[in-house]
Formats: sequence, C-alpha cells, structure tokens
Amino acid sequence: MNKISIPIGPQHPLLKEPLSMKIDISGERVLGGSLRLGYVHRGIERLAQQRSYTQDIYLIERICGICSHIHTTTFCHAVEALLGIEAPPRAHYIRALMCELERIHSHLLWLGILAKHVGLDTIFMHVWHDREMALDIMEGISGGRISHAANQIGGVRFDLDKEKVAMIRSTIAKLHTQVEGVLDVVENEPTLRARTKGVAPISADLIKKYCVVGPVARASGVDMDLRRDDPLPPYDQLDFPVVTYPDGDAWARTMVRAEETRTSLTLIETILQEMPDGPVTTRAPRRVPKGEVIIRSEAPRGELLYYLRSDGSDSPARLKIRTPTLAALSLLPQQLSAIHVADIPVVLAGVDLCVACADR
Amino acid sequence: MDRIDIETILNKIQLQTGCVCETYAHIENDDTIRIPADQLQAVIGVLMGDFDYYHLSAITAQQREDQTDELEVMYHFWKDTGLSLIMTLPAKLPQLTSIISIIPGADFYEREVAEMFGVTFTGRAETPPLLLPDDWDQGPPFIRDEVNNE
Repeated sequence: MNKISIPIGPQHPLLKEPLSMKIDISGERVLGGSLRLGYVHRGIERLAQQRSYTQDIYLIERICGICSHIHTTTFCHAVEALLGIEAPPRAHYIRALMCELERIHSHLLWLGILAKHVGLDTIFMHVWHDREMALDIMEGISGGRISHAANQIGGVRFDLDKEKVAMIRSTIAKLHTQVEGVLDVVENEPTLRARTKGVAPISADLIKKYCVVGPVARASGVDMDLRRDDPLPPYDQLDFPVVTYPDGDAWARTMVRAEETRTSLTLIETILQEMPDGPVTTRAPRRVPKGEVIIRSEAPRGELLYYLRSDGSDSPARLKIRTPTLAALSLLPQQLSAIHVADIPVVLAGVDLCVACADR
Repeated sequence: MDRIDIETILNKIQLQTGCVCETYAHIENDDTIRIPADQLQAVIGVLMGDFDYYHLSAITAQQREDQTDELEVMYHFWKDTGLSLIMTLPAKLPQLTSIISIIPGADFYEREVAEMFGVTFTGRAETPPLLLPDDWDQGPPFIRDEVNNE
C-alpha cells in the first residue's frame, strides 16, 4: 500500500497548543512521524536576562499555563541559593502545597483529555469538574487560578490562616472522595483498558536512551522522582510512595498518573498536618552576588532543570530552563511508529505534552 | 543517595582516555568537570560505562560578558546527584562532536544549542531548526553582536 504523509498542525482542532506534526501512514498503520516545535517560542531565557530577578518571577510564571508554580519555585530556589538565604520552613511547606495542587490539577486535566480522545466523554466531564476544586483552592489562597504569583525571593507572598487551612482540608476531602470514584471507573472501565493496554509500549532501555523523565518514565519502570531522589525542601521531610509500573504502555501511563493524583491528595493532608508555624518570608537583598547554580525539581511532567548564573548585576547573566516535555517529545517519533491510526490520539495524550513549556 | 567521589571519576577518565581533567568548583549543587572539547564523547563514554550516568538533563551554552571570543558549553548529567561537564569553544565557528549516537535524547538539546549559539555538531546529519522560524536570518540570537557582525 502507498505511503501517505498527513500534516497535522500547527493549528489543528486536535491540538490544544500549536505543534506541527507529519505522520506517515500506509493504510491503517502508522509508519512513523516527525514534529516541529517553535510556534509558541517566546524567547523567555533571553527575556529573563533583560529583567530584574523579581520581574523574572512573573515572566517565568508565564512559561506554562499548567505548571506555572513549579517554574517560579525552582527559580526562587536558584536565586536564594546564590543569595545564600533560605526561605522559612513554613514557606517551603506552602510552596510544596501549591506544587501538589498543581500536580493534581495537571494530572486530572490530562486524564480528561485522554478520556475525551478515547470517546469517554462522561469521564472527561467528571474529571474536569473535579479539577475545578483544585483550582478553587489555589484561587482561594493565592487569588489566581493559573498564575498564582505565590513565590517571591525569600519565601511566599501569603500565609495560610486557620480558615484557609480548614477550607483546603474540607475541599481536599471532597475532592478525594470524588477522585476515588472517577479513578475506580478509570481503573476498571473495559473500554479504556482496551484502548490503552499494550498501546505504544516503551521499554525502560529506550526511556533511558532518550533521557525521558516523569510519569512517562515511571510507567516504564524507571524509578525516578526528584521529590525523593534529589529533594528540595520540604520533600526531604515528607514520606510518600513513588509510583512505577513495569508495562510501559498507554495503560501504565494512565495508571501512574491516576495513582500519583491519589498520592498528592494524601501528601497535601500530610503537608497541612506537618506545616510548622512561623514567618513565610525572609529578607532578600536586591543584588545577587556573582555565582552559578543548578536546581532540579519534579514538575507534574518530570524533571525540571534551571541553570542560573549571576554576574553581580540586577539581572541574570544566563538562565537556562530545560522542561520535561522537551525530553518526552524527542521520543514521540519512535512512539508513533508501528501503531494504528486510531491510536494516534492515545499516544499523543500519553506523553502529556506541554508545548508552551517545551518552546519557552 | 550516594554522591560518587569526584576524584574517583577524574582518575577513571584519566585512566581510560588519558585526559587529565580538573574540577570546576563554581556551580552550586552539581559536581563539575572541565574537559577538552575534543574529548567529549570519550568522557561521556566513561561516565555512562563506569558510573551509570546515562541521564542527560540538558545542554547549556553561554557566552560570558568578559570573554566574548569564547563560548562555554555544559552537559548536565544526573544520577541521584548532578554532574556537569564544561568545555570552552571559540565563539567564531564553534564545533562539537554530536553525541546522539550514544545518547539519542541529546538530539533536541543539540539542535537548540546549534540554532541559538551557532555551534556546529559533527557526526550527525543536520541540525534543523527547533524553536526559531524556518526563515530566521539574523544569526544565533544568544551570540553577542560583535561576533555576529564579523
């Protein structure tokens, strides 16, 4: 049968963000594919060199519309390391609380998209309804649903009083009940299993070769989670399981994210329980001394790396940001080979692309 | 997590490649080794083969304000803790050996460094644009103008 190349994107109803793909098919079989990034490239690394460290927090927050908080948290840790200051313990816990809320909202958003792609619109609507609760909490404590502006150099911008903690506890309890119901369906729904089981398996060896991180790596049995393996505070004080599955297929990627959502909900309860009293900011000098630092953190999609160099001026001399999606995307052409055309959306969803993060 | 002693790594690199490398102690959190650019593949071979550093987190390039005739490239590895390799290239016609034959995941990172800093990667077919438009004709954006305009 003849080979046909189908261009998808950069603007396409299937895609939530601009990405250009060319998929080669023969009949119902996919032979391979290639992709082109850059349609939402904003030059953020370069722009960061032209702004002050404080302005950069707000710039960096806009890299991503899902994991905005982990970007600013990682950046603030980098600046604080160069300044030789440490945010107060309570600020670390508030940062971690926001990180876990972000992970829940990211994973639920992803689960909804996967369900939509396989034709399970009921799950999509339930999950996205539940996700609103995580956004409500973030709005309630920071004022912003997506861009929270929670971080500042030396701590966080707001504290949590008793009323807010009670609001988080009651909403999380409600969310936990709701999510358990949905995840029970996800885990046992025969259609979802049929559409994902054995689809586009990735071996642990391939994951390592392509340096893929996060839930995609853990779904292939690669036991790597920087919250445990190279923790930023307060994760070194917290105990939580790292979820891995050996299968490496779209089903395993679904299960890893489903269980991580549960883990994050439990972790939030632990964070609220163990959060120490005290201030939420420490005084930070405006001028950052000369120095270089690398900070790694675990974003919802995996390892996030920031390299920051200061030349002693008001702005960074170099800021390098490596987002987890960029690592996952390099493996996508491989994943697209030898699958059925009908599985393309499942494979794309399985990666949990964040094109805005990859493009920066 | 056990941090592998940097001296052990340096000794192994010397033993296997004959390359006498030194540490670069200015980056917080990551152990960093300064290596000659032409030894990149050999050193990575040692890191992967003897110390299991298979995970390349990123490649960072930069041009320091006071050394505009040079380009600095760093390869950031991770295995429980971070380990970076740092090397210096001439800012004019910088060249490096591609490592995608041993770490295929380096493809996008090499393409980004190629388009943003004008580094040529030898040993691979091409480095098509990753983030910049196809018709970008203003030179590598991160290279200072005095080099671009020469």
